[in-house]
Amino acid sequence: MLYGLIVLFGYLLLGEFVAALFAWPVPGSVLGMLLLFATLVVRDRVSPELNASSKGLLPYLPLFIVPASVGIVNYVDLLEQQGLIILLAMLVSLAIGIPVCGWVAQWAIKRIKGGSL
Amino acid sequence: MNIQHAWLAAWNSPYLGLFLTLLSFQLGLWVFRKSQQKPWLHPVMVSVVMLCLIVWLTDLSFERYMSSAKVLSDLLGPVIVALAIPLYENLRSVRRYWLPFVLANVLGGTVTILVAVGALWLLGGSSDVVQSMWTKSITTAFALQIAPGIGAIPAIAAAIIMFTGIFGAIMAPALFRLCGITAPMAQGASLGICAHAVGTSKALELGSEQGAFAALSMSFMGILCALTLPVLLG
Repeated sequence: MLYGLIVLFGYLLLGEFVAALFAWPVPGSVLGMLLLFATLVVRDRVSPELNASSKGLLPYLPLFIVPASVGIVNYVDLLEQQGLIILLAMLVSLAIGIPVCGWVAQWAIKRIKGGSL
Repeated sequence: MNIQHAWLAAWNSPYLGLFLTLLSFQLGLWVFRKSQQKPWLHPVMVSVVMLCLIVWLTDLSFERYMSSAKVLSDLLGPVIVALAIPLYENLRSVRRYWLPFVLANVLGGTVTILVAVGALWLLGGSSDVVQSMWTKSITTAFALQIAPGIGAIPAIAAAIIMFTGIFGAIMAPALFRLCGITAPMAQGASLGICAHAVGTSKALELGSEQGAFAALSMSFMGILCALTLPVLLG
């Protein structure tokens, strides 16, 4: 567990280092994830220790977004004014986006796999 | 012995916010399981509503809550790095369909984001709310990392993402039937792109192939948006 955590925090810091080095405005955590992903692809295996830490942490990913989400209590006025149009924009986007994503995927599967799904 | 004094000491403890977060999330998980995984009873939804009510109804201020629960937010960084492991493990399933998968994410993802942002802008949304809408198709963990850099409000972005996920998971099965989307890979990608984490649980209900592609789309969209949005909007 500890070894896995050291690897995860190590890649997080590496990601922040790379982002700062090239002055990219992207999150260090996402760069760290891509660097770890690249390492796994090159080595073509996941060590049992790293796997254990990942399997231990990831089921609780939703828990880690709870505190920031509670921040919504500070925006009650904003939601009263704009909540309805936010909801409307969201629903329109879903009604168009869900079919479009599915169609693009199905069209590409057909074109590339010669008609069979 | 002074019970009132002891109670106040516990209520004012710096661990209170953290404890309430863990407790409400566990209750959320329980409600979600009991409800046969209804999207609108997602553990995050239940937990956040309970915590908001506590902050509203008691003298626990948001600032004091957050100073205690912040340690959980700080752990998002290493948890995002850990997503590299399932991404690597799911890579095999995408090999066969990598081009349709990438096209659906890039084209479909762009359409759904632009429609949402454009519609909100036309309806007269204020600029910080419109900026928050850009993050609608990425999972909250990623959105919270980029929100400050693009002028979005993290809590508004989180709320938009939560509700997009819930409505997307509810609307998707009917839209698939209506629009003739039958390929498991297409259903999974669509749910992952439009409804991220909540959509991925719905996709797992439809089948394991749907689930794998939904999880992959969620990661792919997250990476794509986290790398491009700060550059385009920052």
